[in-house]
Amino acid sequence: MTILTPPAGSAAAAPNNAKVVDPVYLQIRDLVYKVSGIYQGQEKLYLLADGCARRCKVIGAQSAREYWDHLTAHPGRDGELRQLLNELTIGETCLFRSQAQLDALRKVILPELTADKTRQLTKRLRIWSAGCSTGEEPYTLAITLMEEKAGLLKDWQFEIVATDLNDRSVEIAKAGIYGDYALRNTTHYYKRKYFMPLEGTKFQVRPDVKKFVSFNRLNLLDDSKMLFMKGFDMILCCNVLIYFDGDSKGRVIAHYFNDLSFGGYLFLGTSESLLKLNEQFRLVHFPGTIAYWKPPLQSGKV
Amino acid sequence: MSTAISPNVRERVSRIEATPAIPAVLLPLLKILRMPADQVEMEAVARLVSYDHAIAAQCLRMAGSPIFGLSRPPKSIHAAVMVLGLHRIESILLTSCMGLAFPVKSWSIDPGVFWRHSLGCAMVCRRFSEGVAGADVERAYAAGLLHDLGILVNCLVFPGEFAVAVKRARQYQMPLDEAERTTMGFTHCESGQALAEQWGLGDSIVEVVTHHHDLGECVKSRGLVALVHLSDLLCRMRGLDYGYYERHKVDLLGDPAWKVLVAEYKQLENIDLARFTFELDEAVGEIRDLVSTILGPAAQA
Repeated sequence: MTILTPPAGSAAAAPNNAKVVDPVYLQIRDLVYKVSGIYQGQEKLYLLADGCARRCKVIGAQSAREYWDHLTAHPGRDGELRQLLNELTIGETCLFRSQAQLDALRKVILPELTADKTRQLTKRLRIWSAGCSTGEEPYTLAITLMEEKAGLLKDWQFEIVATDLNDRSVEIAKAGIYGDYALRNTTHYYKRKYFMPLEGTKFQVRPDVKKFVSFNRLNLLDDSKMLFMKGFDMILCCNVLIYFDGDSKGRVIAHYFNDLSFGGYLFLGTSESLLKLNEQFRLVHFPGTIAYWKPPLQSGKV
Repeated sequence: MSTAISPNVRERVSRIEATPAIPAVLLPLLKILRMPADQVEMEAVARLVSYDHAIAAQCLRMAGSPIFGLSRPPKSIHAAVMVLGLHRIESILLTSCMGLAFPVKSWSIDPGVFWRHSLGCAMVCRRFSEGVAGADVERAYAAGLLHDLGILVNCLVFPGEFAVAVKRARQYQMPLDEAERTTMGFTHCESGQALAEQWGLGDSIVEVVTHHHDLGECVKSRGLVALVHLSDLLCRMRGLDYGYYERHKVDLLGDPAWKVLVAEYKQLENIDLARFTFELDEAVGEIRDLVSTILGPAAQA
């Protein structure tokens, strides 16, 4: 924490939550950010420490300091860093994962986009869930938009395009069957309205939700296929870019920029940033979340 | 925004006591706290703190709070001062003084929410200006802390009208100043300006209080006003808001104030704004704890 905590060496004592953190984790946190754009805040440092501890066990490192050497000085450091990033982002997925992003979509972006598009005489919205894994994100988006069918999106057409590299994930996504863990943020109201109860504690997404979502296998580095992904108003790509190295990441982001309509938005994971990989996107804030905006032509910069 | 204040607003604000009840230790303490950290004698700070009963009690209470994780609360003022550190003592000092100057009885917004926003904005202003050559970090901090002076004035002098404005802002999830303009015909910028001028708070603070929502006619301290304007917007997007969801997008880099800021604070041109934002999130929890402790358990909204 750098805003409130007095500089090191000052007479002030740090609060107790800062005392338990081995400074090497702050170094690892900075390295992770530099490479992936994912920032582990103070409240998430214990997750970073847990992830490091699991990796230490696997590779036989005896201390956090020794693990730091594995991440920076050993020949296999790039692979190890990727393994650590996997640890940090694994198991995060569930329906309604980021309420701040959904609020931004519903309360700020939809009113803005529908007003703009109405002026352009079109009533169609397209959203892409890139790296959709087992389908939690695209179904959440479909449900969020369906909630607006009587309001802002009355007489509108919308579609969610969901893609993932992994065939198996896409198959699971198509089935749309989820258990308690994936539904932990899903309210009773949504469960009743948009899901069918199955045996045990599982629920399946209703067909009237599924019809708004199309699932496909797509490799984000397949330039020929990426060229066909056009005209999106919003792209969500949460904790996916970590799987690419610098150059490929830049390529994927450039595709995203081209694939968005002017005035469209790219959302990453809640604590993930684009670093300096693309100067065309503009970072904007909504309450509790950031996004990358492709400004309309008249706003300049593009 | 116009700087012409309606005579009615100015007249009603003039009924606020001519000088606030500022503790005698404020000025000498601030002078010490604003010295370079390595030159500050903690002995002297502790001695001055101990002269003022209210501030000393506040420091002891704060240092004994669970966020510092001490097994026993500190027994002496000196120990409390060591635990808290200079920045926190300054926040306690300024917040206590503002509280004394404004014995608000009718809060239309939660006082905890107000102080979190004010202290948050002060800290963001300080953070933006740290490391910028030639920037007056402490002036930036004070400007951030005082920018919403007019909200205190509105609570004190126009409680009924202001309550209606706050209700409207919450209902439509709109910026507070827009709701004030619609329902009251003026905003906390004008009422704050009237008091800031009356108290002679200095040109730069008067301009910050007056223009922090719109740089418009601001002439003298444009860089400082831009800094406060942007810090205020950022705080409202990251949990240091007025206690309700504001339905709007904040485009700091596209805001005309950003150009003004960068012209004066050149190093900010290459700032990693995403990381700056994530780091601010880390401070939010501590700001909440700080304000809860300063105000006491009754105001832990």
